[in-house]
Amino acid sequence: MKRILKRSTLILLFTLLFIGGAAFFCVELVMDADAWANQPYNAHISGNGGLEQAGAIYDRNGAALAKTQGNQRVYHEDYSVRAGLLHTVGDNSLNISTAVQSKYRSQLTGYSLIWGLNMPQSLRTSHDLTLTVDASACADTYDALSSYGTSGACVVYNYKTGEVLCSVSTKTYDPQDPPTITEDNESEYEGVYLDHVLSSTYTPGSIFKLVTSVAAIENIPDLFERSWYCGGHEDIGGNEVTCVDSQAHGYLDFQGALTQSCNIVFAELAVEIGSEKMNATAQKMGINMSFEIDDVDTPKGHYNTAGASVNQLAWSGVGQYDNQVNPMQMAIICGAIANGGNSTTPTYIKNGTDDLLKMIGVKKAESQELVNPNTASVLSSVMPEYTFGSLNVRAKTGTAEVGEGKGPNAWMVGFSTDQDAPLAFACVVENAGFGSQYAKPVAETAMQNCARAIRGW
Amino acid sequence: MFDFSVVFDVGVVALRVLMPLYAIFIVYQLYAAMRRRRRPEKPLVTLMNTRTFEKIPVLFWENSIGRKRSNDIVVNDPGVSKVHAVLLRRDEGWLINDTESVHGTFVNGRKVTDRTQVLINDIIRVGNSEFQFLRGDEYDEALESKWFFKNPVNKPAVKSWKLMLMITLFHFFMTVEAVYWNDGKNLLNPLMIFGAVTLANWGLFCISYFILRRATFELEALALFLSGIGTILLARQYEHSAYMQLISTVVGFALFCIIIKLIEKPDTLYRFRLPLMIGAVGLLAVSIVFGKVTNGAANWIYIGPLSFQPSELVKVIYILIGAGALDKLNTKKDLFIFIGFSVVCVGLLAIMRDLGTALIFFVTFLLIAFMRSGDFKTIILAVSAAVFGAVFAIRFMPYVANRFKAYRHVWEYAQDTGYQQTHVLTFIASGGLFGVGVGNGFLKQVAASESDLVFGLVAEEMGIIVAITLALAVALLVVYARAITTRSRSTFYSISACCAAGLLVVQLTLNIFGATDLLPLTGVTFPFISAGGSSIIGCWGLISFIKAADERTYSIKR
Repeated sequence: MKRILKRSTLILLFTLLFIGGAAFFCVELVMDADAWANQPYNAHISGNGGLEQAGAIYDRNGAALAKTQGNQRVYHEDYSVRAGLLHTVGDNSLNISTAVQSKYRSQLTGYSLIWGLNMPQSLRTSHDLTLTVDASACADTYDALSSYGTSGACVVYNYKTGEVLCSVSTKTYDPQDPPTITEDNESEYEGVYLDHVLSSTYTPGSIFKLVTSVAAIENIPDLFERSWYCGGHEDIGGNEVTCVDSQAHGYLDFQGALTQSCNIVFAELAVEIGSEKMNATAQKMGINMSFEIDDVDTPKGHYNTAGASVNQLAWSGVGQYDNQVNPMQMAIICGAIANGGNSTTPTYIKNGTDDLLKMIGVKKAESQELVNPNTASVLSSVMPEYTFGSLNVRAKTGTAEVGEGKGPNAWMVGFSTDQDAPLAFACVVENAGFGSQYAKPVAETAMQNCARAIRGW
Repeated sequence: MFDFSVVFDVGVVALRVLMPLYAIFIVYQLYAAMRRRRRPEKPLVTLMNTRTFEKIPVLFWENSIGRKRSNDIVVNDPGVSKVHAVLLRRDEGWLINDTESVHGTFVNGRKVTDRTQVLINDIIRVGNSEFQFLRGDEYDEALESKWFFKNPVNKPAVKSWKLMLMITLFHFFMTVEAVYWNDGKNLLNPLMIFGAVTLANWGLFCISYFILRRATFELEALALFLSGIGTILLARQYEHSAYMQLISTVVGFALFCIIIKLIEKPDTLYRFRLPLMIGAVGLLAVSIVFGKVTNGAANWIYIGPLSFQPSELVKVIYILIGAGALDKLNTKKDLFIFIGFSVVCVGLLAIMRDLGTALIFFVTFLLIAFMRSGDFKTIILAVSAAVFGAVFAIRFMPYVANRFKAYRHVWEYAQDTGYQQTHVLTFIASGGLFGVGVGNGFLKQVAASESDLVFGLVAEEMGIIVAITLALAVALLVVYARAITTRSRSTFYSISACCAAGLLVVQLTLNIFGATDLLPLTGVTFPFISAGGSSIIGCWGLISFIKAADERTYSIKR
């Protein structure tokens, strides 16, 4: 009998395995219940891709960007607002995974793991969301950006509070009337489900000179006493480095070189600073890093000159070589320069997410030093000055060559120095041309509108 | 103006929150009752070494004697074989049987060739040791009880009718929910089904209590609790099958009583083994010839409106054949009969392509084989098992491959082979902790929701807490079956009870994890809750072994 009891331990083991499996399932349930419940076929939240019972989404001024009327999901009445904020708000489908209607769908539908989908209506708490974006700023920015007809992205955020005021990505479509994408119109909607602000990387071109500048300010003591001669082209490391159209800039000091965006000077600086220090600076400034913005990880940029030739190192200093950056990442870096070196993590959500971790303060917006405070103040004083209407802006344009016979990417990144409008921005227009010609007007529109949104005038 | 709908909603929510707690309470009470009314730990007889006067308590109904430490009675004597003899108690008195020992066993100097009666004061000789056979009260030292039997006497027993009342009340609450969530259909349906369930449950209780005069009803109550839940869940869906379910419960209970009666004397069954085996093989053969192919497996027989799965019954017979009394267990003849029978069963199931059942048989085979032999014989058994495994894996290849395609990738095949699993997961998540309410779920619209996917149905409508509680209620039968192992009247009961409980857990595992994509979906039923007549009847057959293993079943009458 004792022997039988001993052997029956095997059966007990089976049972323990079963209990272990059940525990594993419960863990899976806790982790993934949101995604499991939010399926278009789930009849508990049926209709409109599961948004029939979903709460409304408002912009910072309380304008409804999306709401449910009857059993229809209705988006903002203005076409430009709808199209401009498509990637932020989302549509009925789950195609744009970084959009609020995808990310916070369970929140909007009132789903919770405890109550499932059957909390009686009278006991349900409100599940609306208010975003930080400004609808009209986004609409005007969308109009400016979409006039070029190419892909692009523009983001403006408050580098003190982290609030994103404007975030527009093209190409786009009307969420009220989503297109059927077939093989025939595929090219028209290429990359349409991607929010280029949060999910794409581009060759930076001259805007990367901000990074090279930081490295130079920190590593070359007599930087501001030096002067350079630019003949339009120069042999560095056995190959040519050229300025735009091989146009000579003549004699330049450092600030002149940055303002004129002289490739020769910055290529020479990169070589002088050396691969190791260039990489260290890029690393510290977060080029190779991903930023978490409302549960979305931005793609990592790319800067790595280990194993590069001298000429490649020279080109990397002016943002060519194989450098890649993400628009949101550049906006964060510019915000950090304006903010004395420390980054502020952007957010799209003003209120409405009852994220428990956020409420008890565990998941605080992270801040980290991307630039040494002294370097930041020196750099912001030598960066090119612009005036966007009533706004004083320090910014850098860029024209990034992408090869393959395509036009260069037009860039502009920077920040406002006005205390009452602490805004940082990044704007990119794909395959358009000069940054000052294509990116600047979009950035100007976006910045002026956003300044109006926070100043009230 | 006060809003009364809020009060009403609060009431409904409160009921939904209380139901899981109530389910946990019921399951706790059922298992607590299983520990009650136990005899205190006392030796049945005593063996006294005639040379050293050392007294050895004999605790079990069947005791192995030998040199190895794993024996029930250990004799440190080089003349004694590792497993020498078995001392067993039957209604007619105490018997001893030699188990192929080297030097033999002697009672009063006469060599034992078959089961030989031992009387008080007889002298038993094994090897060079002699023992005098004395009464149990000759042993005067206190004995330590196992945790399960600790303080059993001084706890008042929960009256069986109280357990039944609790269960009926639970079913009633479910019915209230089912009526509340009525979507315009006949309001009386849930109430009528509830009435029928209650009538059947109490009817069976009265039969057990007044006619069979059984003192205990916990195990039956557990089964009725589960099958009642399964039946009421059908109220909003397939009214007809709810009544079929009830009929099956009654038939299952009858089978349960018949088996308990049949195996009252563990040795009589030995004579019926051949007809049983022929019957089992016959049942499987019939389903090969007449069976209809459903979901890739030809395991259903349709007789008019009745559908029937013979493999469910063969499971019960399989355990009957596999178990045996302690002195017969170790004989090679018995073992080979069992292996032969297993080969035939698994082979026939392979022809039927019933993957789920074949898997259950395979695991049960391993369990029984291990319980019987424990040692080197297991290796031979495992090898033969592996061969069977390979044979039916190849046999099932195209079918298996298809099932495995979506395994752990169900979301990629949500409209295809992963359809059932993704719907189960979605609706389990939609149910949350407390469920959306009985009758308010949507999983019922998915095929097989009342059988293969019933875990999802329970979780959606009654919440994950209830679903897990019910699963544990079945799984804990293993703990119960194990706890009573040494108190069983024969190893025949303990082996069959442990294997039956193990088999229920294997079924539970395949059902729940198949539906939730932790394992491939094989179409196995959730014991007692899944709809399906033969499944319910088969499960009643299985728990009859557990009931029989409990010594109270035969010894205590009201």
